[in-house]
Amino acid sequence: MFEARLLRSSILKKVLEAIKDLLTQATFDCDDNGIQLQAMDNSHVSLVSLTLRADGFDKYRCDRNISMGMNLGSMSKILKCAGDKDTVTMKAQDNADTVTFVFESPNQEKVSDYEMKLMNLDLEHLGIPETEYSCTIRMPSAEFARICRDLSQFGESMVISCTKEGVKFSASGDIGSANIKLAQTASIDKEEEAVVIEMDEPVTLTFACQYLNFFTKATSLSPQVQLSMSADVPLVVEYRIPDIGQIRYYLAPKIEEDDN
Amino acid sequence: MGILGLSKLIADIAPHAVKEMEIKNYFGRKVAIDASMSLYQFLIAVRSEGANLTSVDGETTSHLMGTFYRTIRLIENGIKPVYVFDGKPPEMKSHQLNKRAERREEAEKELQKATEAGDSASMEKFNRRLVKVTKQHGEEARELLKLMGIPVVEAPCEAEAQCAALVKAGKVYAVATEDMDALTFGADVLLRHLTFSEARKMPVQEFHLNQVLDGLELNHNEFIDLCILLGCDYCGSIRGIGPKRAIELIKQHRSIEQVLKNIDTNKYQPPENWAYEDARRLFLNPEISDEKDIELKWSDPDEEGLVKFLCGDKQFNEDRVRNGAKKLMKARTGTTQGRLDGFFKVLSTTPNPKRKAEQEKMKANKKTKVGGGRGRKPK
Repeated sequence: MFEARLLRSSILKKVLEAIKDLLTQATFDCDDNGIQLQAMDNSHVSLVSLTLRADGFDKYRCDRNISMGMNLGSMSKILKCAGDKDTVTMKAQDNADTVTFVFESPNQEKVSDYEMKLMNLDLEHLGIPETEYSCTIRMPSAEFARICRDLSQFGESMVISCTKEGVKFSASGDIGSANIKLAQTASIDKEEEAVVIEMDEPVTLTFACQYLNFFTKATSLSPQVQLSMSADVPLVVEYRIPDIGQIRYYLAPKIEEDDN
Repeated sequence: MGILGLSKLIADIAPHAVKEMEIKNYFGRKVAIDASMSLYQFLIAVRSEGANLTSVDGETTSHLMGTFYRTIRLIENGIKPVYVFDGKPPEMKSHQLNKRAERREEAEKELQKATEAGDSASMEKFNRRLVKVTKQHGEEARELLKLMGIPVVEAPCEAEAQCAALVKAGKVYAVATEDMDALTFGADVLLRHLTFSEARKMPVQEFHLNQVLDGLELNHNEFIDLCILLGCDYCGSIRGIGPKRAIELIKQHRSIEQVLKNIDTNKYQPPENWAYEDARRLFLNPEISDEKDIELKWSDPDEEGLVKFLCGDKQFNEDRVRNGAKKLMKARTGTTQGRLDGFFKVLSTTPNPKRKAEQEKMKANKKTKVGGGRGRKPK
């Protein structure tokens, strides 16, 4: 028996918004510690790693480890049926081929349940090596979303370069070029609005704007975003979801053509 | 052509080995394309009002149209194509080629009949059957590819074998052909429908040799024997043994020699002087040029050259040709998107246990119901 209950459905709604453009289907691995999801998009350019800890749920029970393959489009449709303030409960029997979502309105007057068929997906687990990153940048998530949106008008790819002066985002294309520089915040009054840069070595990498724009769909989950970069390895974009877990996106950089 | 019924057999028994992908997922991949196969496709498919496109003096240009635009489509999707042309056909194929010639003659007769009767639908049908890729088509396509900056490899013998060798040597990621025998030649990855027109919205089918072998529970030598039993281009097969019997027999006896010893040869007569050993040798050690001598180099397209070659007599629209050349040029500048595969290793891929159980059930059902589960499409 698996059962997980959240007092506010909005978290789950937002999580799904944050992954459904990248992935069409994914496996939710549930065990004692909570729910994990790890999946690459079809073209193997980016990876989503989601953790929702058991202690972040209002009620969490998982007798036996269970992996549920879900069609994220269908799941998103179901979650759209829930009000933001509704309580949401996910339920599944051991070895079930369906999962049930129960939505309860705050005053308990309306209870709706939706059953969804599970999918038989292959379980592919990727080993993500522990990496010490040369640069980590923390900044307001809305700011990052804005930058990605603005720069994607100029070109397909965006260069992120981090030096001790600060971090520079740039793009160029047919209409011209764009550069946005952010300096470290001098005095931190509000942690949520600060730009904090930790740097061992300067790094410059190029990424596809399209994917970054998919990642920033998670903006509403967290006031801050953290970017981690090292030369020639994937970028990590991390959103911490208050009190329950985090969502991490990995993105392979674009590389210069080597031969011809 | 290729191996009779192999793709269906794989889809039935090892559906895992076939994946359907979108063309855009292949960005940055180098792909070896069986040139004569795709030229043939273009001659058949690229038509207007049922007739091939022609130059002013009536020479066919469908193959050039196809090569030009579909190659551009591949390149726009970030794929780096290499075209591999056939050399001389292997002697063992002569039988097969004779058969094809016979069929062509038949079609020609039918065409005449249809023309006399004025039946335009069958005229078109038989016209298509008469399509043949000539030397001249090949020469023209080579010239066009050179102008487009696309590398061309001349196989000494069969193009599929050379493509397979390129994949094995890691020079390219996959072979793109419709013929399944590229797998028999040992290509690790085979792509079908890659050069199909965009309008058909056909997903690319990706076959992985190791998954095919896993799924069929065979090793490569046994797989070759299976392909010979199914029917290949190089020798006959046993009458009365279809795909189902073939896989059963190979699984049970593991080689053609053993199969022959254990079946009733009166009931299932093997062809006279059956040259299955030679065919096997041909699949294992085909005549190919050493991949070390092959250098794949993509270069800038020659816009003026393309205009000179395609416009004028061949009646291509100059603006569209120039536009195409620009697209080729644009794809050459800039960077390629990397993949995560290189950074993160797949620790384990476990097929879903539930599905496995279902398959077992299916298998059990199949045994009781003859012909059950046929035509089951892979996911």
